[in-house]
Amino acid sequence: MKKVIAADPGLRAARYPRGAMRGPVMKIEDIAVRYGDCWSIRSATITLEPGVIHAILGENGAGKSTLLKAAAGFAPRVAGTVKIEDGAAAIGMVHQHFMLVSAFSALENLVLGNEPTGSFGRLDLTKARREAEALMEKTGLRVNLDARTSDLAVGERQRLEILRVLYRGARAILLDEPTAVLSPLEAEELYTTLGALAEGGATIAVVTHRMDEVIRFAGHVTIMRRGRTVLSRPIAADERNHPKRLEDELTRAIMGGEPPHEASPPALAEDAEVALSIEDLVLVDAAGKRVLDGLRFAVKKGEIVGIAGIEGNGQRELVRAVAGLEPGVAGAIVLGGARLPAVRSTGDLRKRRRAVAVVHEDRHADGLMLDASVGDNLVLGELDQIDGPAAEAALIKHRIDRFGVNPPDPARRAGDLSGGNQQKVVVARALDRIEASPERALVVLGQPTRGVDVGAAATIHGAVVAAAEKGLAVLLVSADLGELKRLSHRILVIHRGRIVAELPPTAADDVIGRAMLGMEDA
Amino acid sequence: MNDKRARALLPIVLAIAGGILLFNLIAFAFGQAPASALRLAFEGTWGTPYGLGQVLFKATPLLFTGLAFEVALRAGLFNIGAEGQLGLASLVGALVASNLPASLPMPIALPIVLVTAAAVGALVAFIPAILRARRGVHEIITAIMVNRIVDAILPWTFSTVLGSSSLRTADIAPGAALPRLDRVIPSFAGSAASFAFPLAVATVFAAMALLGRSRPGREIRWVGLRPEACRAEGIDVERRMLLAMLLSGAIAALAVSSTALGYKGYYELGLGAGAGWSGIAVAMLGRGKAIGIVLAAIFLGTLEQAGLAVNARVPREAMNVLEATLIVLVAVASRVASQGARAAASADPEPEPPRDKPAPTPASEEARS
Repeated sequence: MKKVIAADPGLRAARYPRGAMRGPVMKIEDIAVRYGDCWSIRSATITLEPGVIHAILGENGAGKSTLLKAAAGFAPRVAGTVKIEDGAAAIGMVHQHFMLVSAFSALENLVLGNEPTGSFGRLDLTKARREAEALMEKTGLRVNLDARTSDLAVGERQRLEILRVLYRGARAILLDEPTAVLSPLEAEELYTTLGALAEGGATIAVVTHRMDEVIRFAGHVTIMRRGRTVLSRPIAADERNHPKRLEDELTRAIMGGEPPHEASPPALAEDAEVALSIEDLVLVDAAGKRVLDGLRFAVKKGEIVGIAGIEGNGQRELVRAVAGLEPGVAGAIVLGGARLPAVRSTGDLRKRRRAVAVVHEDRHADGLMLDASVGDNLVLGELDQIDGPAAEAALIKHRIDRFGVNPPDPARRAGDLSGGNQQKVVVARALDRIEASPERALVVLGQPTRGVDVGAAATIHGAVVAAAEKGLAVLLVSADLGELKRLSHRILVIHRGRIVAELPPTAADDVIGRAMLGMEDA
Repeated sequence: MNDKRARALLPIVLAIAGGILLFNLIAFAFGQAPASALRLAFEGTWGTPYGLGQVLFKATPLLFTGLAFEVALRAGLFNIGAEGQLGLASLVGALVASNLPASLPMPIALPIVLVTAAAVGALVAFIPAILRARRGVHEIITAIMVNRIVDAILPWTFSTVLGSSSLRTADIAPGAALPRLDRVIPSFAGSAASFAFPLAVATVFAAMALLGRSRPGREIRWVGLRPEACRAEGIDVERRMLLAMLLSGAIAALAVSSTALGYKGYYELGLGAGAGWSGIAVAMLGRGKAIGIVLAAIFLGTLEQAGLAVNARVPREAMNVLEATLIVLVAVASRVASQGARAAASADPEPEPPRDKPAPTPASEEARS
């Protein structure tokens, strides 16, 4: 990576002789952004220069995404100034959720909103293709232009988004959590591309949750905490040689103090007996696709088994099948030596819930009632086991205290909590209930810390480890390799509904990543 | 704070003032001196004890049907079948009441009639309820159809089954009749207000308390908020929906107490018709609170009675226009008012961004917020 850029425009011009691609300097000074009653950004100052990858880090709700949106002009700014060298037209944003029309071809999406037209407004796709080919040639970003967008892989769709932004003539690209949906290999590829664009003179800013990406690829880092930029400085090349030191500094800035200690899996007895065994699980979805395709593995008592995989390879269905929410599943789920009967009624489901705790990956759809109170959410589904309002209030208080739900107010609307605290509520309900159940056997967690900040994640990790220490088998499905490696005794890699590899938690990221892509030599 | 609350209530005051203005315009259009028509409307409602009694009488069925709609709404269902549920329940209830022995005392006769009516109301609601819970058929469609079926059943029963040309049942047994309120408040004399009104108010408060605190009530509400989460946690979503819909039908049916039992002493075709529809407006204006439902029912009762009071001089249809307009005005105003109240309660008038520097806090605490 090149050294940090100087502010002198003459020097920059000398550096990027081609000129055409040089991105604008964006100066954001002391801005404040408010949504309703809530200050998303209280005071943020940042200067984005062309030539390096700017990383913006921070906890959930710290204002990172809003900062990007404010820079691109999408956010309702209350105070402060945004100065963009050549005007806002030069900026393109790649959103966290792709803005692509899935029924269009890649080429149609690429030119969407900026289509070359012939007479009477007819779409000139020949010209569009010529321009797109030229653009792909210039940037090295490759997408199959004739493919239907819904058939493209996530990484390809992201490249398409970037190409579209470039096609519109943007020379500054702002990306909101671009790697959240990518496998490690795809993420690396993305950063290589972004690095090349930056070398070519574009202004690149990336919001991310992942510290390792910042340390490896970013030339400049900005940390936001509670709506403020608390640190904004270049990263020198030699700092990368001491990643731990840099990581500690950044973590302290993100957290505003010492980082919480990291959880590690409890010791596992050699002779621990098998608690859960999954045998030849098959599930065919409505379209006839085998989303679970002969899945088999076992989890011992007190063992934490991590499931790694690229999204959409059967993780969600696995969690739902074990939870008893997929009536069409074939194969056996054996718990404590006895095969679980199929769930045919709510009574069966309640029975299974006494042995198996489940955290679903989409907390807003399957886990929380956003319009109900925190207290109601904490006791959802177990009113029949609670003895009167006093006992209920005590149980709610216990769960709020144990998991540090903040604010600790049972009457608060769950939808008003931050994402991390919402997740604490879901996890608290599942784990605290199963630990009190005499038939407890298994905990299944789907993405327990997705979109959750460091502090809340530490709380949740601690609770997962505590559950394993109590002898529960834990099945942890996560897209976060760091989390899997830290918490698991073993990592199983799922690909197209099958387990394709079993790896130790010490396995290198790229080894796991290759297995996730289904490569044979993993 | 008081000032803010007053500001929040302003839209409602303005809406009512707008309604009065509109009333005057309508009266003027029909050649009446506006002030005199208004005086007539006031005297017919809140101005005299008799008028007040009539307002309460008109409000009573709306209390039941409003509560009925609210109960179903809690489970996320729209029970627009109250009209049919109330119609068939009134007929069956009155038939049972008219066949009870005259000597049966009220503590036995009245519960028999009310329970029968409630059961019939629940039965009528069962059709859309079970189709929704088991087969996912939308309850609005089925309820509309059931309403039409009941519409056909009622006259057919009178003319064919009962062979009555007057389209009314026989008089009910004295034990099944609800006494008029003028027994305890003599100045209500002549008005049709009966003990059905306090019964209705008590039912509203009791049902809303049960919905908020009892296990089935809370689970009904949770199912309405997010059925997927409830299903995943082992709540029987279908059963809770079914229960809410049956309760709704039963409550709507209780409106028979104010019409056949408390007023006419028999059921005739069309008695109490329309209450099922007005109940939707009551529930919407009541905003999920017991006191809100009571106030909304009395508000609509007032409008209905006012329409009758000026009927001789201003046609009833014009009053219906006024009524509908006022409901819309108040609905908009109460929403504006509650938003204003929320904004007044939470946001400081200070528009400046908070520039305070973050205090150094330990990571453990910082991380929680």
